[in-house]
Amino acid sequence: MSFLNPILLGGLAAIAVPIIIHLLHRRRFQKVVWAAMRFIQASVEKNQKRMRLEDMILLALRCLLLALLALALARPAILSEATDVFGQSKVTAVIILDQSRSMGMSDGTATRFDKARQAAEQALDSMPSGSAAAVFLASDLVQAIIPEPTYDLNLARKVLREAALTDRATDLFPALQKALDTLQGRLALRREIYLITDGQAAGWRQLTEIQRALERARTEIKTHIILVNEHEEKNLGLSDLRLAGGLSPVGQSLRFEARVTNYGKEEVRNVRVGLSVDNDPPSDEFTLDSLPAGASKTVTLFAKLRTEGFHSLTARIPEDRLAADDTRGLVVRAIREVKVLLVDGEPGTEMRESEVFFLKNALVPVSADHVADYFIKPSVVTGVELAQARLDDFDAVILANVPDFNDSTVRNLENYLRRGGGLMVFPGARVNTGFYNERLAKRLAILPAEWGEHRGQPDRDDQFVTLQEKDYEHPIVSLWNDPGAGRLASARFFTRLQMKPLPWTGPTPGPATSPGKTDLPAQGSSGRGSSAGTGRTAGQEAGPPQIIAKYNDGSPAMMERAWGLGRVVQFSSTADTAWNDLPVRLAFVPLIHRALGSVVARQDEGLNVRVGEPFTRRVPNDYLDQDATFHKPRRTGVTRDLERVELIEGWPTLKFDDTDQAGVYDAAVGDPPFKAKFAAQAEPAESSLDELSAAQLGTLREVASVLTWAPGLSLRGLVEKGRTGVEFWLPILVLCLILAGLETFLGQWFSRAK
Amino acid sequence: MPEPEPTTLLDPQAISRAEALGLNARYIVEGYMAGEHKSPYRGFAVEFAQHREYTHGDDPRHLDWKVLGRTDRYYIKQYEQETNYVAHLLLDGSESMKYGSGKLTKLHYAKVLAACLAYLILHQRDAAALALFDTTVRDYAPRSDNLASIHHLMAKLAAFEPREQTQIGAVLHDMARQLRRKGIVIIISDLFDDEQTVLEGIQHLRFGGNEVIVFQVMDPYELEFPFNGLVEFDGLEQLPKILTRPAEIRKTYLAEVEAFRRRLREGCERNQCHYVMVNTAQPWHELLSAYLAFRLRTQ
Repeated sequence: MSFLNPILLGGLAAIAVPIIIHLLHRRRFQKVVWAAMRFIQASVEKNQKRMRLEDMILLALRCLLLALLALALARPAILSEATDVFGQSKVTAVIILDQSRSMGMSDGTATRFDKARQAAEQALDSMPSGSAAAVFLASDLVQAIIPEPTYDLNLARKVLREAALTDRATDLFPALQKALDTLQGRLALRREIYLITDGQAAGWRQLTEIQRALERARTEIKTHIILVNEHEEKNLGLSDLRLAGGLSPVGQSLRFEARVTNYGKEEVRNVRVGLSVDNDPPSDEFTLDSLPAGASKTVTLFAKLRTEGFHSLTARIPEDRLAADDTRGLVVRAIREVKVLLVDGEPGTEMRESEVFFLKNALVPVSADHVADYFIKPSVVTGVELAQARLDDFDAVILANVPDFNDSTVRNLENYLRRGGGLMVFPGARVNTGFYNERLAKRLAILPAEWGEHRGQPDRDDQFVTLQEKDYEHPIVSLWNDPGAGRLASARFFTRLQMKPLPWTGPTPGPATSPGKTDLPAQGSSGRGSSAGTGRTAGQEAGPPQIIAKYNDGSPAMMERAWGLGRVVQFSSTADTAWNDLPVRLAFVPLIHRALGSVVARQDEGLNVRVGEPFTRRVPNDYLDQDATFHKPRRTGVTRDLERVELIEGWPTLKFDDTDQAGVYDAAVGDPPFKAKFAAQAEPAESSLDELSAAQLGTLREVASVLTWAPGLSLRGLVEKGRTGVEFWLPILVLCLILAGLETFLGQWFSRAK
Repeated sequence: MPEPEPTTLLDPQAISRAEALGLNARYIVEGYMAGEHKSPYRGFAVEFAQHREYTHGDDPRHLDWKVLGRTDRYYIKQYEQETNYVAHLLLDGSESMKYGSGKLTKLHYAKVLAACLAYLILHQRDAAALALFDTTVRDYAPRSDNLASIHHLMAKLAAFEPREQTQIGAVLHDMARQLRRKGIVIIISDLFDDEQTVLEGIQHLRFGGNEVIVFQVMDPYELEFPFNGLVEFDGLEQLPKILTRPAEIRKTYLAEVEAFRRRLREGCERNQCHYVMVNTAQPWHELLSAYLAFRLRTQ
């Protein structure tokens, strides 16, 4: 016998109450001066014994009533296999429904998610009346739809029926931990967790922690893991889709890379991959002859964007049983032209001697006839002319071997970056490293690194370093992870400046400045503002310094950092062939283009987010406090979500959190509307068919009951077997009621006129 | 309740109603004056009663000369003498009479009743005497047939304060011994004493040839016992306090009271005297009218 509410056993002290009342009552009486005492005396003598007995009976009944009430409130219970004489004791449960993308796997008639919902409803049905249930939806996020157990099981059913599948990844540990936390605070004899999932191995990455947590709570909380998966052998999915080049000019044929992965156990032949722009018919198709089991292949597809602005691109493969991973969306912003200001620090006497000769050619890698049509428009000025240049006319500025410049130019450059401009900095023999390090690196934190000592000799061709061969992590160079894209490591670097990354302490939350005063518009189709007076201090606007590529000796070769709305890419060697032979290598053109793409379209990086990550985009001040409408993918009809444009870190920002669904989202704000698109991309691991191994299931069985459920199976039978224990509060309460009735009756009966 | 002024002891309504009915002696009582009441002393008065043979010593004035002339026998004419009677009002002044559920105590009710009766008696030229007693006679107003003496009686009534317990039986025996002339003895009391001794006292009075009328004065609360909850009863005559729930003993109490009254009533009936139950809730005029009317019927 145990008590679920032992503290209320203290209520037994209430037995004293009727006794005290009885005693107090005897001290509160009416006084009557009376003449006919002889008759009262005679009557009392005749009744004394009976009255005392009645008093004792009533007192005993009242004490017993209170004692039983205290006992009932303390909820006595016995954990046993006893038969349900008093009915099954109530269950307090948490139902965790896996809503990750893999639950969308269909067996031809119903998805795993449909089955999971049915199983969850059966779990609710199997609970005795008076039970309570909370409902959590689990993916990589725990969504507590009903955070605390509710006695309204119909509400729980409704919530389960309305639950929607998401494209999120799976991580079941947080959900289980939250469920355990929820139940551990509850006073109930039977506490149960129903985790309904498909048993995909990816969701059980933290199996050890899960097992440990369940083991700790095992004596108090019973966990049912209900698997609704049916073994599946085939799945083909698009695991990636991206723009291969760094820039997306209008009218140019753009190269996209779609990665197809065979998650199944058999080789698949003749996989047709199509790419369409803005839901038009596919503009390009490619057929993969063969894709072995477990292998991935990247398919190159081309598409042209006809107009400036946001475009969605969708890659498709033929639908299989997990349809969600058979399409993948991408959003790019098409730009009409990119104006680049090349600042030549050492023009030389001949064209070839110019510091920016190779850069200029790399930026416009077309024949002389097509230069005028080409979307990149480079202009060249000298270091001296930089002071007069209107930086806002350009999308990017490239400093090549520029020794130093005056304060006003520094301020111009600072404002230019703040408004979203791009900056690339190449060193050279004439560069005043002290100026760069002190002014641009340390004071303004514009540069991601300080330049250190010279390494190597320019005239020693036999001593050189190369760039790293593999493991390119940064998006600018990730292209070269694919051997088919050529080699970046073929370039030889004879001389270079040592790069010392600047320390970064994270963003300093500054006071939110009023947009009316700062007038700091976003970049993009809205154009740039004309002035910028801010009270921001150096470092506040700087992002973390990041290494783009390293030399094969491990030292940084290229670094970048975001600054304001713009981005800065810093090199450690020259833009011409003075210190290296990179400019004459094949990789130079794509490297420069990708770096340019990175600095020009910094904010466009946020157009493609992972499922579940928030989409944020800074918009012009005019849209502040206006309602933006968002249209989610796969949603039919005119349903829109509303979000208000608010100040985030001092900038009017369009923000949307509810990116549970993979695909292309439309956003519009204001009148005339500012329209944008963005895409949410799902975690490729969710397409995996890997299931919990027999050994892993065995581990789980030690701490939980693992049931495999299929439509037609009764969950009630499977679950009820495990339910043990009887609570006694109800029969005690009934006894209390009977005693209360008896007490009332006897009280009346005893006090009737006799 | 403050003791009343002597004059307020007379209830005008009771007097006006009762005057018409009058208080007549039911039995033959002795009196001084020729009046409404028959006297046991036969003699030579107005109303002829019987003839008797002349014996030596009789006054020859009373000889019936007509009979002597016709029959030559000596007969004496006897006449019934109408006399006025003496009413002895015995008022119980013990502590138990101090009880009253409302403003009106039993004693006050009894005083008014006694005053009204005294007035009636004096008004019809009978004589009235008043004795106030508890364990013994505390105060006494000797008989008087003068209506003016009503003031004296009422002053005595008004001034009386009860102090002691009751011993009605002993007082009645004393009275019976002291009364030399037959008359009406009116006992006004709650009779909360041993009923046997009370009845013996009454018997003694009756034995002396007196007519006895018993007014038992009780409060409505004493008759109905309407208390609820827990009540402590504090006895008026030095009896110990009793804490009880009256509702639960009501039936027994009422039965006890009823039995007590029954015994008294039956005892009175045995002694051929009137027993009148007086509920102090009943107005005096009603009580007196009802009793006097009853008395006329049974005369």
